[in-house]
Amino acid sequence: MNSPTGRRLSSLAELPQDMEPPRDMWAAIEARIDAEPAARGRGALARGIPRQAWGLAAGVALLAIGIWVGRASLPNSGVAIPGAETQAAAQSAQVAAGAEAAALRAVYAPNARFTRERELLRRNLADRLAALPPETRLTVRASLDTIQRARTDIEAALGRDPGNALLHEMLVNAYQDEMRVLATVQEAGAREEI
Amino acid sequence: MPPMQGKEARLADGGFPHSHDEPAVGVDYGLVLRASRGDKRAFERLYRDHVGRVYGLCVRLTRDPAMAEDIAQETFLRAWRSLDKFEQRSRLSTWLHRIAVNVVLERRRRRSSTLEFVAEPALLTDEQFLIETPIEEAELEAAIAGLPDGARDVLTLCGIYGYAHQEAAAMLGVAEGTCKAQLHRARGLLRERLGLGGKP
Repeated sequence: MNSPTGRRLSSLAELPQDMEPPRDMWAAIEARIDAEPAARGRGALARGIPRQAWGLAAGVALLAIGIWVGRASLPNSGVAIPGAETQAAAQSAQVAAGAEAAALRAVYAPNARFTRERELLRRNLADRLAALPPETRLTVRASLDTIQRARTDIEAALGRDPGNALLHEMLVNAYQDEMRVLATVQEAGAREEI
Repeated sequence: MPPMQGKEARLADGGFPHSHDEPAVGVDYGLVLRASRGDKRAFERLYRDHVGRVYGLCVRLTRDPAMAEDIAQETFLRAWRSLDKFEQRSRLSTWLHRIAVNVVLERRRRRSSTLEFVAEPALLTDEQFLIETPIEEAELEAAIAGLPDGARDVLTLCGIYGYAHQEAAAMLGVAEGTCKAQLHRARGLLRERLGLGGKP
């Protein structure tokens, strides 16, 4: 990997980004492509749901419950904790049906407004959290951590199977879950300040 | 061409739209389209255009030319399988890098390497990765190769390939703060190993 040039550099950016591999790999790649012709052009869903996707789906389902608990415990959230299971189910269904299109638009397209609002909410998070009771802060942080972990897992799974439509959808949902938590904290924090 | 988007807007394929100066839609567009319809010659062109950059990243992340070759092959194979899902708004080279980083991380996990914990960073000011006293290229590459995995990953992605912290963090599956911390650590170690002294 050492360069024979003897060039002297004053910045990492001057290092060459390209390196020539020791041999042409195309023949090996082509052979592997030819060995799996059926994979080309098939949709991700048609390939079936991989095992790891089921695990992630379970994780995201748990995550949704975690987020609901987080919302329910926020002061003045308008959510009654007794009977929360029923409401959570109803809300999950509403969210799934109503927000799906918006979620897809938000993450599948470079939606500047989504990005701006998310950044704003994230910037304000620390201030808003400071206005909430300690136990609520912990719940919110736990929810956000769970979302982050879920997103990391989904992204890792997407790395292994970048064309998997289910994983893409789950990633979109994870971003939306995060937005819901951030927006709820923003509202609750603002009410606490008043 | 639409106006440049910020680096923070992620696409569904995991990439960032127009995240570098080069326009996303260019020569690659037609080739990607043809390749996604099963044209292997078009995909070969894409391979030849991008293999140097993919292999370069793999070598730097693995420090093992043989493993880098294997990972580069796997990267192109996965890209072939998923080309029809690639969004033209992001750069193909970034998308390929993202796949390559994932393959590298998978291999490391298989070797059950432990996660490195790094404390939150001091504020970074030198975003240009400048070195006061010019260093021989080979010496610099060797010093980078000697860094621990996490620090080397971030230094390679941000310092050599020019990715923003957010992009590098997303590729590596770590928090942006961890990415900054690793970079801070990498620069400190690099300075130490190059005998440069001073603040990192």
